[in-house]
Amino acid sequence: MMNRLELKQVVKQYADKTAVNGVTLNVKEGEIYGLLGANGAGKTTTMRMVLGLIHPDGGNILYNGKPYNTELQQIMGYLPEERGLYPKVKVSDQINYLARLRGMNGKDADQSLKYWLNRFEVPEYYDKKIEELSKGNQQKMGFIAAVVHRPQILILDEAFSGLDPVNVELLKSTVKELRDEGTAILFSTHRMEHVEELCRQITILHRSNTVVQGEIKEIKSRYPREQVFLGTVGSVEGLEQLSGVKKVERNERGYLIHISQVEAAQEILRTAMTQTTVEHFELKEPTLNQIFIREVGESNE
Amino acid sequence: MNKMGTITGFTFKNKVKTKSFMVTTIVLALLISIGLNVPYFITLFNGGSIGGASSSNPVNIGLLSTGQPEVSEKLESFSAAQGDQAYRLIASGDKDEAALAADVEAGLTDGYLKFEAVAGQEFPQPILYSAEDVSPQIIASIEAALQSVKLDVVVKDILTAEQKELITTPVKLTEQSLSTDGSGAGAESEGAMSPINYIVVYLLIILLFTSTMMTGNMIASEITAEKSSRIMEILITSVSPLSQMFGKIIGIFMVGMLQIGIFGAVVAGNILLPHNRAVLGDFNMNLNDVNIAVIVYGLIFYILGYFLYAVLFAAIGSMVSRTEELGQAVLPITMLSLVSFYIAIFSISTPNILLLKIASFIPFTSPTAILVRIGAGVAPTWEILTSLAILIASIIIFGWLAAKIYRTGVLMYGKRPTFKELFKAMKAYKI
Repeated sequence: MMNRLELKQVVKQYADKTAVNGVTLNVKEGEIYGLLGANGAGKTTTMRMVLGLIHPDGGNILYNGKPYNTELQQIMGYLPEERGLYPKVKVSDQINYLARLRGMNGKDADQSLKYWLNRFEVPEYYDKKIEELSKGNQQKMGFIAAVVHRPQILILDEAFSGLDPVNVELLKSTVKELRDEGTAILFSTHRMEHVEELCRQITILHRSNTVVQGEIKEIKSRYPREQVFLGTVGSVEGLEQLSGVKKVERNERGYLIHISQVEAAQEILRTAMTQTTVEHFELKEPTLNQIFIREVGESNE
Repeated sequence: MNKMGTITGFTFKNKVKTKSFMVTTIVLALLISIGLNVPYFITLFNGGSIGGASSSNPVNIGLLSTGQPEVSEKLESFSAAQGDQAYRLIASGDKDEAALAADVEAGLTDGYLKFEAVAGQEFPQPILYSAEDVSPQIIASIEAALQSVKLDVVVKDILTAEQKELITTPVKLTEQSLSTDGSGAGAESEGAMSPINYIVVYLLIILLFTSTMMTGNMIASEITAEKSSRIMEILITSVSPLSQMFGKIIGIFMVGMLQIGIFGAVVAGNILLPHNRAVLGDFNMNLNDVNIAVIVYGLIFYILGYFLYAVLFAAIGSMVSRTEELGQAVLPITMLSLVSFYIAIFSISTPNILLLKIASFIPFTSPTAILVRIGAGVAPTWEILTSLAILIASIIIFGWLAAKIYRTGVLMYGKRPTFKELFKAMKAYKI
C-alpha cells in the first residue's frame, strides 16, 4: 500500500507562537488516520496545510509522493468542521457545481450525486433547497459534497458531530466503504469511540506538539491496565484490603476496581471466587478516552 | 480557466433566479416606463385645466366686440391666421356681456374676452372671464396674439408688414466655441456639448455610479455570505482564489449587464412609442446627434471602472466574516465612488477645470472624469489613452492585491482584520 499523504516534520509558525511543531504522519491508501487533540491543539492548522490553504514554514507534505500542485484539487475532498452550503440553492445545483469545480463533468457529477442520495436513502432531496432540510440532513449533503468526486484523499473535520445515532452509523458505514475502496482519510474528532472503531493509526496533538502517535493497539499496550471489571452473583467483601487496589466502585452489574498494578487483578479474581460465583471478569485495557485525558490533561496542569 | 467559467455561470444563474433580483428589475423597469411617459402626460394635462384642450378640442372663448370692434376684429383675424390653436375665439356679433356670461353658464363656451377702454391709452385692457382656471399656455398664446394686435393698432400703417414681422421675431443668440486644442475628439465640429451628448454623458456617469454600487455590494455580500456559511473553505480548496474572485466578478457583472440591458430595452421601447417621439422632438433632441466616440469610450471606461471597483469590493467582502459588518466595511469604497461621481457631475458644464483634468488621471475618478471631457470634446487623444493605460495598470495592480487579500481574508474569521493584521497573516500564510 502506498502512502497517499505524507507529512514530514511539518512546522507552522504564526507571528508569536508555533501552531504546529514538527508533525510527521503517513496516511496509506485505504486507511483512516485519526488526528486528535484538544481545541487549539493545531488540528485545523494541520488540516489547512494538508489542503494547501496555508504553506508550512518547515518540513514538507507529499501527496502520492509529490509536493502540492493544482491537480490535487481534483483528488482531494474536504468536509470542513462548520460545514456550509448555499442555503438558497437547490441540492442538485450546488453539489453539481462543487463537483464541476473539482473537475468532474456535469453528467458524471449528476450520476454521482444521485448515487449518494440513494445511498443515504434521501433521493427526494435532489430538488430541495438546503435551507429546507434539517441540520442533520444538511450535514449529509455536506458530506456528499465532499465525496461526490470520489477523492483519493479525504479530509473529514468533525464529520459526525451533531448527528443522531442512526445517521452516525449511516455515515460511519459510508466512511468505511470509502476506506475499503482505497480512499486515504484524515479524520479529526473529539469522539474517541469513533476513533477506536474507525482508525488504525492516530496522532494526538497537544499544544502544537505530537504527544502520542502510532497504531491504536500498540498505543494501548503501552499504557498499564488499571481497571478490572468483576461481575458476580453474590457480593464480595474485602476487595479494598487487597494490595494494589486503589478504589472499588460498585455498580448495577458488578464491581469496577481501580488497581495500581496488574498483579492485583489475579488476587481480586481469587478473592471473588472464594466468596461467590464469578460471571464476568475483565482486565480492561485503557480506552482512548483515558489515554487522551491522561496525556492532554496531565500536561495541562 | 474552465473553472472560472463554471463559477461565472453558477453565480449568474443563481443571482438571476433570486426573487430580489426579479422584483427590483421589474419595479425599476416600471418606474422607468412611468418616468419616461411623464412628459407626455404633462402635455396631455397641460392646457387642459378646462377639459383637456388641444387643437382638436379647443377652449372656446367668446369675444365681446362691443365698444372695441377694431381690436376684436384684428384679434379674430390674427388668431384665425395662426391656424390650429388650443383656443378658439367665437365672435359674438351683437350679443352683450350678459348674454356671453349666460353662454359660459350654459357651457356653450368656456369663457369670454372683454376689452375695457383705459383712459389716456390707445389700447384697451383685455379681461378674460372664465368659469374655471384657464391654463397658462392658453393665456400665453392669447397674450402673444394680443401683442401683435397691439403693435398693429399702435403703429397703424407707419411700418411695412415685413418690418412688423421683424420686430416680433425674437433675437436668438448663437453659440460658437473657439477650440484651441484642435486634436480634441470632434472639438471643431461639436462646439459645445450637444444636449443629447450631455444626456448620454450624464446617463453614463449615473449608470457607472449606480451599477458599481449595486453590483459591488452584491459581490461583497456574496463573498461574505460564502465565507460566513463556510462554503468558502470548500471552494478555496477546489479553485484558485484568482479564478474564484474573477469568476464571481464577471458573473455579477453579467447580472448587472442583463439588468442594464433590460432597462435599456425598456427605455428604447418607451422612447420609440409614437407619442413619446414627438415629446423628445419638442426638447430639441435628435438621437442622430449622439457622438459615437462618447458611447464607445463611455462603455470602455464603464467596464474598466467597474472592474477596478469590483476587485476592491471583493477584497473587502473577503475580509468581513458577517454580513452585518459589511456596510461599514465598504464605506471607504462608497465614499470613493461618491467622490468620483460628484467631481464628474459638478464639472459637467465646466469640463476644462483643473480638478477634472487631474481627476482624469487618477484611477478611481478617471472613468467618470474623462467621460465628461470626452463628451465635451475637450479631451485630446493622448489624454484619453494615458488615462486608459493608467486605469488598466491599476486594475492589474489592484486585482493582484485584491486576490492576495482575498486569499488571506477568507481564512480569517472573527473580528474584521486591520490591514496590519492582514499583511501579517499574509506573511504567515506565505501568500
